[in-house]
Amino acid sequence: MTHTAMESPVPHDESSLRVGLYDEEFKKFNWNLLLIQVVLFGIGLWNLMSATAVEDKSQGLYRTQLLWFGVGTCLTALILLVHYSFFSRIAYVIYFMNLLLLAAVLVVGKESLGAKRWIGVGGLRMQPSEFMKLSMVLCLAKYFENDRTVGGLGVKELIPAGLLVAIPSALIMLQPDLGTAMIILLVFGSMMMFLKIKPQVLIAIAICGAIALPTAYKVALKPYQRQRIVTFLDPMTDPKGAGYNSIQSMIAVGSGKLFGKGYKKGTQSQLNFLPEHHTDFIFSVFSEEHGFVGCAVLLAMYMAFMISGLAVAYQSHDKFGLLLAFGIMSIFFWHTFVNMGMVMGILPIVGVPLPFLSYGGSSLLTSMLGVAILTNIANKKFMF
Amino acid sequence: MAFLGQEEQIREFQDRFKYIYTVVFIGLGMLLSRMVYLQVLKGDEMRQYSEENRIKKVKIASPRGMIFDRNRTLLIDNRPAFDLEIVPQYFKLATAEERAETFKLLSKILRMPASDIQDVLNKARMQPSFLPVKVKTDLSRDEVAEVESWKISMPGIQVEQEIKRTNIFGDVASHLLGYIGEVSPSDLLQLNAKGQKYKLGDSVGKYGLEQRMEDVLRGQDGEKLVEVDAFGRIKLEHGRSRVFQGAAEKAAVPGKNLILSIDQDLQMAATQAFGDKVGGLVAIDPRSGEILAMVSRPSFDPTSFSRGIPAQLWTQLLNNEHRPLRDKTIQDHYSPGSVFKIVTAIAGLEEGVIDANTKFHCAGKMQVGNRPYHCHKKGGHGDLNVTSAITESCDIFFYRVAQKLGVDKIAKWATYLGLGRRTGISLAREVPGLIPTEAWKKKRFGQEWNGGETLSVAIGQSYVLTTAIQLANLYASIANGGTVYRPFLVREIETYEGQVLKNFKPEIVETHRLRPETLAAVKQGLWGVVNSPHGTAILSRLPGMDFAGKTGTVQVIRLAADKIYGKCENMKWRERHNAMFAGYAPSNDPKIAVAVIGEHACHGASGAAPIAKAVIKTYLQKYYPELYSDKVIAARLKGEAAGLKLPKAPVQDDITPDDGNDTTLPEPPAPNRED
Repeated sequence: MTHTAMESPVPHDESSLRVGLYDEEFKKFNWNLLLIQVVLFGIGLWNLMSATAVEDKSQGLYRTQLLWFGVGTCLTALILLVHYSFFSRIAYVIYFMNLLLLAAVLVVGKESLGAKRWIGVGGLRMQPSEFMKLSMVLCLAKYFENDRTVGGLGVKELIPAGLLVAIPSALIMLQPDLGTAMIILLVFGSMMMFLKIKPQVLIAIAICGAIALPTAYKVALKPYQRQRIVTFLDPMTDPKGAGYNSIQSMIAVGSGKLFGKGYKKGTQSQLNFLPEHHTDFIFSVFSEEHGFVGCAVLLAMYMAFMISGLAVAYQSHDKFGLLLAFGIMSIFFWHTFVNMGMVMGILPIVGVPLPFLSYGGSSLLTSMLGVAILTNIANKKFMF
Repeated sequence: MAFLGQEEQIREFQDRFKYIYTVVFIGLGMLLSRMVYLQVLKGDEMRQYSEENRIKKVKIASPRGMIFDRNRTLLIDNRPAFDLEIVPQYFKLATAEERAETFKLLSKILRMPASDIQDVLNKARMQPSFLPVKVKTDLSRDEVAEVESWKISMPGIQVEQEIKRTNIFGDVASHLLGYIGEVSPSDLLQLNAKGQKYKLGDSVGKYGLEQRMEDVLRGQDGEKLVEVDAFGRIKLEHGRSRVFQGAAEKAAVPGKNLILSIDQDLQMAATQAFGDKVGGLVAIDPRSGEILAMVSRPSFDPTSFSRGIPAQLWTQLLNNEHRPLRDKTIQDHYSPGSVFKIVTAIAGLEEGVIDANTKFHCAGKMQVGNRPYHCHKKGGHGDLNVTSAITESCDIFFYRVAQKLGVDKIAKWATYLGLGRRTGISLAREVPGLIPTEAWKKKRFGQEWNGGETLSVAIGQSYVLTTAIQLANLYASIANGGTVYRPFLVREIETYEGQVLKNFKPEIVETHRLRPETLAAVKQGLWGVVNSPHGTAILSRLPGMDFAGKTGTVQVIRLAADKIYGKCENMKWRERHNAMFAGYAPSNDPKIAVAVIGEHACHGASGAAPIAKAVIKTYLQKYYPELYSDKVIAARLKGEAAGLKLPKAPVQDDITPDDGNDTTLPEPPAPNRED
């Protein structure tokens, strides 16, 4: 039997909500994630105004970011109007449409810095690979919604799911966009681990991975991507080339010391020593100007965001909502972790934006859509 | 019900959240501890790096390859030039007083008003502020020293050492050496489409060998890391840096050197001999096709181009009546006039319509149809054979030969001998010239060939057009007995360390062994031009250094019959005859072939032959002193006892009249302009 919106785990009616039959907390609208989002975006915009004060191609781009925030707010309102089970119904449609867009990028995409990642929509550029993360989580949540496997997932369940992930990942690798592809794999892995995999299958995968990784390193990675990994392991091998970014970024973060150099006074960023200071390396701008104290506050905000988001998943009373919320949170987690880790030199340099802080319409929109869906799940759990 | 059945599973999932929270805490904890490490523990060190040691990548410009002549005389070198630049991003950081002080100091040192410096900065407002703005180029040594000593009080100011491509001999040989210029956006697309890596601001060869040999001459730029302080002043090179100790820099790889076949002494001799005259000269070694000299006058000094051409100089060059920017040896073609007669002679002899003894009578004019064709000698030459016809440049004789041959046979031999097509020299913009045929005229104008035109073609008029390099190559192939080489300029390519990478070998384009009788008759005639009392170039004779050749004097505009014999020097420059000479030396064992075009220089004998003579003399004396040094010649002439009584015959002007017949004479095809 298929799940329909009318079936509820706990019998209730509309009036039950109004009279507060359940815990006080539940009848109130859950604003947590939206509030944290506004705070993070506010910090991000303020920081972006500093980062894009640098006289180069990025000058004044924070205005565009503000525009995207407006677009995102409208979409958030729209999403809150429908029940999230609606997404369960259109999950595969969204997934395939996104897949088509990814394919279109390879054909008619705009090239920038040697990669084809964008397609033009009117005067704006869209990056379908950003949205793909969300589409994929939606698709996987839908796929495992009715799964009844006992004792963990086996090969039979993993292969179709793996295919759903492998196709977009391959298309994204072709662009090439190693960072996004990696995030997708990390999110997929997280969701599968969460769903639990049979121990023997897990061991088999680990062995295969140990064999396949070195091969993939040689075959699938472009020379510049390989260079990044080598550089990560030892940035001093190439301080003027691939290691340059990593070193400059670390200097930027570290030179912020306890209290930072002050707003718009970060020399590393303002003097153009930092590459991509408004997108992937935005965190180094922030940490240079606001120091350890600023960073700790920012990290605390992300922490609060993580806890609130995971709470939504935890409290979700249906499997689709739980998996969806969990998947979305793993996107946020990996983005935050990989980006900050890269900026601070504990991870190799891969182009991954920091949610709410990095400049980029598609990235911001994806984050906001994610928050909108989470808020939806948080507030509709008893409202069918 | 599926949904209710989920409850247990959801509870199971909720149990797993403790692991999830653990992972998240660990992850964010790692980030936090990294922050502590970088910002708290290493904070002071990192702050110091960012404050004192800002690391910048700086391009190390690679020197372009040098160019030498055949005796390794340096022709093009890279010499340092110093520019004063302001880096706005650092300059802006200074206080208003500091900036004003800087302007004051600079204007004093550079002797330019402070407002000019401000203007330069204002103009650059639209570009990214980390890009240096050039305030003055080519600083003198004193200026450089002064700027360096005041640098500490001038934030954002730097002296940049650039490489200045320098043509050591100024305007000599600038057409063939060419010049470089900043790569233009359109060049950039083209070059980078071919897999090259050029950036805006890079130099690229734009003309001459600099252009054609771009791939060889260009080096690979290197990179180094330098540390700059907060105001952009370079503090330490990376080797002494505290941050990046031991990091290897990428060295610049200089371009490869060219060794040319050119001899600089011949270039100088030719340039000197031209004086104020306008035109071109090509000297070729008939034994290999090596170009020994290639000169086009007037010229320009490429050194003044290498760092950007001042607009005023450029317009001046473009508007000059004598067109200094055009290479008159390959980019312009001219009616060859009488110089072409040997082609008619060879065609006649080889096709068998005449032999060495066939004689025709010249009465000064002949009637074809109802129209008279004149000889340049009013009274006529009397009876002549082919040898004396060449020597005395009799027009009537060649009209007769042409009547027997027809235009297509003349064209056939002209083509065999390399005319009417590009010689294939490795320079851009060579024009092919033109050798007409009946079919060509039909195709070009849709008209039948007319017999009178054949007569004009026989004496190098009508549609016939040749370049100086073609004429030199034509006479070289006569000199060597019928082999046409592809003329070449570059003998060797070697690395900057002197290791030879490539040797260029002579390349034969065409071989038509001419019959010995043909060669003997033609060569005897050519010898006579310079050495016999009746020869047209007897005044250019070099006693003891026999050379052979042919003069030509070509009317450039149609003149009334009475004016044909008028004095050329009294006409306007543009209307004066073109002077031609082509020949080789020594006549018995040719080692050099020369062609000269003197634009509006009036007479082949006086306007072109002396220039060829100067080059020939310089060449023979330099390379064969055992035969031709002044001492040896004096001895030899004395030995020839009785000696030659130098004839004092009046100069015969072998002017080829514009016969008025070819009313359809086309404007020469518009040659390519290099601007």
